Parts: sequence; C-alpha cells; structure tokens
Amino acid sequence: MGSDVFEISVNFIKLVAIFLLMVQLVPLLVWVERRGSAYIQNRFGPNRVGPLGLTQLLADAVKFLFKEEFIPGEGRRLIFLLAPVVALIPGALAFGSIPLSAPIQVEAFQWLGQTWGPYNFPFQSFQFDIGIVFVLGVSSLAAYALLMAGYGSENKYSLFGALRASAQMISYELALGLSLVGILLIYGTFDFAEMVTLQEGPLTLMLFGTEYTLSFLPNWGIFYQPLGFVILFAALFAETNRLPFDLPEAEAELVAGYHTEYGGLKMNMFYIGEYGHMLVASGLISTFYLGGYNLPFVTVDQIREFFVQSQGFTLTNASLAASFLLHLVFMAKVFLLLWIFIWVRWTLPRFRYDQLMDLGWKTMLPWALGNTIVTAVFILWMRSV
Amino acid sequence: MGPGEHHCHSGVYSLDAIGIGVDMQEAILFYILGSLAVVCSLGVLLSKNPVSSALYLALTMVGLSFVFVGLDAFFIGMVQLAVYAGAVMVLFVMVVMLFDLKKEEDSFSPGFFGNGLKVILGGFMVGAIASVIAYSTEMILSAPKITQAEPVDMSVKALARLLFTDYVVAFEILGVLLLLVAIGAVALSRIPGGTHADD
Repeated sequence: MGSDVFEISVNFIKLVAIFLLMVQLVPLLVWVERRGSAYIQNRFGPNRVGPLGLTQLLADAVKFLFKEEFIPGEGRRLIFLLAPVVALIPGALAFGSIPLSAPIQVEAFQWLGQTWGPYNFPFQSFQFDIGIVFVLGVSSLAAYALLMAGYGSENKYSLFGALRASAQMISYELALGLSLVGILLIYGTFDFAEMVTLQEGPLTLMLFGTEYTLSFLPNWGIFYQPLGFVILFAALFAETNRLPFDLPEAEAELVAGYHTEYGGLKMNMFYIGEYGHMLVASGLISTFYLGGYNLPFVTVDQIREFFVQSQGFTLTNASLAASFLLHLVFMAKVFLLLWIFIWVRWTLPRFRYDQLMDLGWKTMLPWALGNTIVTAVFILWMRSV
Repeated sequence: MGPGEHHCHSGVYSLDAIGIGVDMQEAILFYILGSLAVVCSLGVLLSKNPVSSALYLALTMVGLSFVFVGLDAFFIGMVQLAVYAGAVMVLFVMVVMLFDLKKEEDSFSPGFFGNGLKVILGGFMVGAIASVIAYSTEMILSAPKITQAEPVDMSVKALARLLFTDYVVAFEILGVLLLLVAIGAVALSRIPGGTHADD
C-alpha cells in the first residue's frame, strides 16, 4: 500500500476512485448503446426524459433500486445471491491493474512539520510486474458468475445460457491467450507500464540487424502484430458475451439466458459486470496495440518538459497536468473501441452454435498459433543477424 | 523477498510505529488466506451437493493462489488462478452441472457403516498429516539457520530459464504424461455407455 500515511491514503483514494470510474461509466455506456442502436436502426431511442434522454438513466437507477426482490423458491438461494457479486469482481480487479495514464511524480515537500516523498504514483489501482498474467487469471474467473447464476436459478433457460457461456469462454480463452504471445515476444515483458513506454516515439523496425525508422507512423503494437490484433479483438468480443457472440443470452431462444431470473439491482450488477468487461477489453486492446496512454509522436517526458518550459509549472504540477492530459488520450482510445463494440453489436447477426465453435477452434486457434510461431522465428532471425 | 529487502521508512506515520512489523503483516495475511483455503477445502469434503463441492474446490484454488502471492510468488499465484481456478475448475463445474447427479448424491451419503469407514479413513489421514507436520517441524528447527541467502532472482525470465534448461526433462515428461491422460480420457469416453455402462 505504501510506506507512510500520505502514500497509503493516496493509494486508497486511487483504489476507490478507479472502481467508481468504472461503475460510473456504465450508465453512460448504456445510454450510448441505446442512442447508438437507435441511430443505426433509424429510430429515435430514449429522448423524452431530460436533454437527449440523459436523465432516463436516473429513472432507470430509481427503478432498479425499488424493484421487488425476487428469489426463485426452487433455486439454491446462496449461489443465486452470490452470482451477481461474483460477476462484478473480475472486471473491477482487471480494470484496476491497467495503467490509465502516465505515473504521477511528486517531489519531496514539507507538510505538518515533516518532509514527505518523493513519491511516484502509478495511475492505476495496483501495479504488478506481471500485469498481463494477472488480468488473464482474474478475468478467467468471470465464467463462475454465469455458471452460478444459471445453476442457482433452477431454470432450464438459465442453465442453458450458463453452459453455453462457459463453453464459449473456455474455447475463446485459448485463442485470446495465444494471440497475446506474439505481442509478449516482441516487447519481452508482462508489465503494462513497460509495454506502454516501449510504444513511445515513431515506428522503428529491426530488419536484418539494421534499424529503420518510419517517422510518419507511431510505434504502436498494431503495426507489428496486425493478425494478433484481429484475433484478440474477436476473442474479446466472445469473452464479453456480446453480439455476434451473445449465445449465452440469446433473447429469441433463451428468454435472457443466465440472468432470466434476476431483476432490480442484481440484474444491474450483471450489467455493470458486462460493461466492465467491455471497458477492460478496450483498455487491454489500447494498451497492447494502440500505444496505451501515449500521444502519437510525443513522449511523456516531452509533455512534462513542455509544461515546465512554456507554462512555468513546477515538476510536480507538470507531471500532474501531463498525466491528466494523457488520461484523456487513453480514454479517447477506449471510447473509440467501445463505440466499435456497440457498432458491431447492432450490425452483425448472431452466430449459430456450430459456427461459433468452428470459428474458435478451427480458425482462430490455428491462426493464433501460426502467428506465434512466425513471430518467434522472425524475431530470432532479425535480431540475431 | 526477505524482510531485509523491504524498504520501510521508519517515520512517525508508518505501520512499524504502531508495532506491526513486516513479519507480523505477513503472518496476519498468511493466517487469513490459509484459513480461507482450509475452510474451503473442508467445504469440498463436507457438502453433499457435487456442484457446491466443485465451487468450494474453485475457492480453495483461489485461496491457494493468494497464499502464493503472499509468499511473493506472483507468477505462480496468477498461473494457479488462470489454469486451475479459471480453466480446469470451470470445466469441472460445467460438467457436473450438465449431469443429473441424484444417484451419485445418494451414493455419497451411505448408511452407518459407510460413515464409520469415512471417519476411520479420515482419522488415518489426520494422523498422517499431523505426523508429517511434527516430523518436518523438528527437521526445520534442527536445521542450520540460513542467515542471509543470496538474493534469488524471482523474475519470470529466471523461472523460464530454469524450466527450459535444468528441468527440461521433467517438464517434457510431465507434458507427455498429460497427453497420456487426455488420450486415456478419450478412450474411456468411447466405451459404449461410458462409465455408466451398467445403466
């Protein structure tokens, strides 16, 4: 947590604030989803309550809060009640470990008759050297929420939804993990922050022992691993259970799938879990392939330098300002990806189950494996010459 | 990471000042996480419903991975989480849910004789574990103290290097063993009627 009271309190506030950031983005995303779907389908969408229908969300929240609690009599009560809580945990934990901006460097200062610092606060809830393994480990637990919901409801449709969901998640986790190996080989690290730092500056390629610099492109992972990017993107769609991979909650077949029996705040927690997963997915894609919080062509140090030189900021304030700016850059990338998530949902129809399994096992897995092997051989060849 | 390597400011506002040292923090963490794992593994044995058992086992895996993290073995802890809790146990829970397990549930709760047998076997198990603990405690206490071990490289790279150089034979043999298990499972499932052939 930290070595003294100041560091511990800042880290604690950070922990709470980043969780609240995730939770508060959900109603906004629901609004974008509704208005976006309406825009795509040539409808109006919710536009009666408040400007642009924005306060509809508030009405929804009140409805969620005051809805009658319903627990199926035949179901298993404890598992039924635990499932929505479990649905929240993986998304929240994974989101906390993604760096949302450059670390804030605080110089030593005097306060309460004591010298504090210097500190270096990473712009994330907690930092690991092995962030990627942590995210993979934590988000693999998401299947339990769906399984528990399906089993606890004692409802055929819920159980079908849960079984479909877990089969799908296990199948696509393989392709997801393998598509990441290529990017891990290139950066040679499990650490998100290090990975983002490596994507600073213009595109630099190592061919036959000579370095080539393409100054008109940023040094982003997508230019090294285009295939890995496509596979990861598709696999993350499957992991978030959204169209075209929404078989676990296919409305036409399963009523609402695993959350058929849930209402009110419990339903809302599943919502937060799902949108939280989308946020984590977008954060991961932008960290791996779109340079994370990097602004193209400018390094973090240059931005800090700019604030010090031309605005006359102190080093601490310059670092704060740079981190805030880069946080906006990161969120812009995340929102772009979230919009693609929503766009795809209202554009593509649902897969059939056999098509889903074929795509996962017979198409994406071999391609991801091939990508890994080609990347490994290429790196060995190019860097050894 | 040994206690010596923790970089603690011993300021007025640190945890050390109120008498909770690093060793103490680690001990508190270990007892909380360890008791979580123990309680959950008891739940695996004591719950009649196979799905609850499987869910308890998953929780045990999660607890174990936390214990690994508490020992600063982050990579092993997270791999434990991803592989055992995230993949293997999800499959278990899924398969257990797929079957109607009323019959198995009954066969797990036999009468007086069966319960007596369970208690006796459980007693043997407890005795074995207790004797192992007693024996190893004596060994650990009588062993020469390691004052300051060489700083061990705990990084993933070091682990991978060890795994693919010194222990590569064991690693490969384990891989082949797992393949054998998979082939065995496929062969078993191809018997007409499967393991429930007498139904």
